[in-house]
Amino acid sequence: MSNLEQTAASDAFDVTERSDQAASPSRKPFEIGRRGLQLLSWLAPVVLVIVWELLAQAGWLSPQVLPAPSKVVRTAFKLISTGSLLNDLGVSLLRAAAGFALGASVGFVLGILVGFSRIAEAAIDRSIQMIRAIPFLAALPLVIVWLGVGEAEKIFLVALGVTFPIYINTTLGIRQVDPKLLELGRVQGLGTFELIRRIILPGALPSILTGVRYALATAWLALVVAETIGAQSGIGFLAMDAREFLRTDVIVLTIVIYALIGVAADGIARFLERRLLAWHPNYGIAR
Amino acid sequence: MTLHVVPSSTVATPAVVVTNLRRAYGDRVVIENLNLRIERGEFVALLGESGCGKTTLLRALAGLDPIDGGRIAAPRRPAVVFQEHRLLPWDSLWRNVSLGLQATDARARAAAALAEVGLGDRLDDWPRNLSGGQAQRVALARALVQEPELLLLDEPFAALDALTRIRMHELVRELVTTHRPGVLLVTHDVDEAIALADRILVMRDGRIAFEHRTKGGGRTSIARTELLAELGVVASHPISA
Repeated sequence: MSNLEQTAASDAFDVTERSDQAASPSRKPFEIGRRGLQLLSWLAPVVLVIVWELLAQAGWLSPQVLPAPSKVVRTAFKLISTGSLLNDLGVSLLRAAAGFALGASVGFVLGILVGFSRIAEAAIDRSIQMIRAIPFLAALPLVIVWLGVGEAEKIFLVALGVTFPIYINTTLGIRQVDPKLLELGRVQGLGTFELIRRIILPGALPSILTGVRYALATAWLALVVAETIGAQSGIGFLAMDAREFLRTDVIVLTIVIYALIGVAADGIARFLERRLLAWHPNYGIAR
Repeated sequence: MTLHVVPSSTVATPAVVVTNLRRAYGDRVVIENLNLRIERGEFVALLGESGCGKTTLLRALAGLDPIDGGRIAAPRRPAVVFQEHRLLPWDSLWRNVSLGLQATDARARAAAALAEVGLGDRLDDWPRNLSGGQAQRVALARALVQEPELLLLDEPFAALDALTRIRMHELVRELVTTHRPGVLLVTHDVDEAIALADRILVMRDGRIAFEHRTKGGGRTSIARTELLAELGVVASHPISA
């Protein structure tokens, strides 16, 4: 066979291969499959809301039990226009932020102490683990006795819920830093401060951010409970106030708002992970 | 095979002098009465079976482990390249290379070091985008940017494939010729030792049991069987040379 013939033959072979692939029916569903599955995953909740709306419109669902989604949306716009919804939302977010900042600081500082010092671990870790064993919401009556039902009680409860996930993950992250990298740091002549800044904290960061993500969820849970008891403002107050008047549309609205803020908090945590862990093969650009 | 020959005219200044070194873990003595002197610009390879104490010696020289007796006199902190590259995954390549470098022009010096190992265009890249050989080259740059008088290599090529290893040998030979640190290479690979070293040591039972200078061609094949015999791999009198 001459070179030319060979080329021609392989060309023909290529063509048949290509047309084979294009005609192959087994490939098409797979290509649609990824987007299709994405669509399908959204289809189910959308259908559920539509069915809920139709049932409510048809009068099969009493508005006292579950108001129509459209009614909830209308209520939302009405409350926004009077300014009360945004006001309550702001109060709730402020409480969550203050409690989170307080609890995260305490958890981070304790975590660093225990992560670095065996003495600090011996001194305080057992006590912290014992307090952690208490479901923090069980401490609510005691917190109310201490602080009354004001802002301090709500912020304290959020802080209490946030402290432990941050503490545990900070300690764990520091402990899990590769000892070979620490050894390298010593070989390169890093001092203690530089060792912490260049190797230990970056190494512990994935774990710390996992703690932040957990803590955001706990903070929210703590806030819901705290605001349900004796609040004068906030999303939880809105819900309890609505309960007095059997305003299920407002109650459902507050539940939806809690859910949306939970999703937003998780989004923030993911964003932080993508930005701060860009180097990490499991986070960053690749995902 | 080409040999890297140190010009004997250079005035010998020691990169490290070890006298009567002793190292023990509890009752088990790993290094006993070990004496070693490495000149600046001299390339010494240290062979020995696993557990003979060669890595222990390297760690003692690096200041990573305490010593139980004797003296190690080195003018400055040695640089180390480990078997694993040990790059910080969260730092760019130039930040990795300049780790621990006390200089205002750290980036420029890291850039120069990376250029020397053929990665001058990858300053801001991440370690995870590197192949095994490239990562080990960055580790070499990180060691050399410190301008060490003593360079400790702890089986740095053991995890690389054969072709990459040969390229690394050439690179290391060039770099050592340029920077002239004293080098102690711990390795399992007899051929690697012959290819790179001016002097080959075999360690046994915590002391240096055999020493061979590779200077002068033609001695290579004899040295090889001799070395293998010293390592207990083949009989000391080969059937055919």
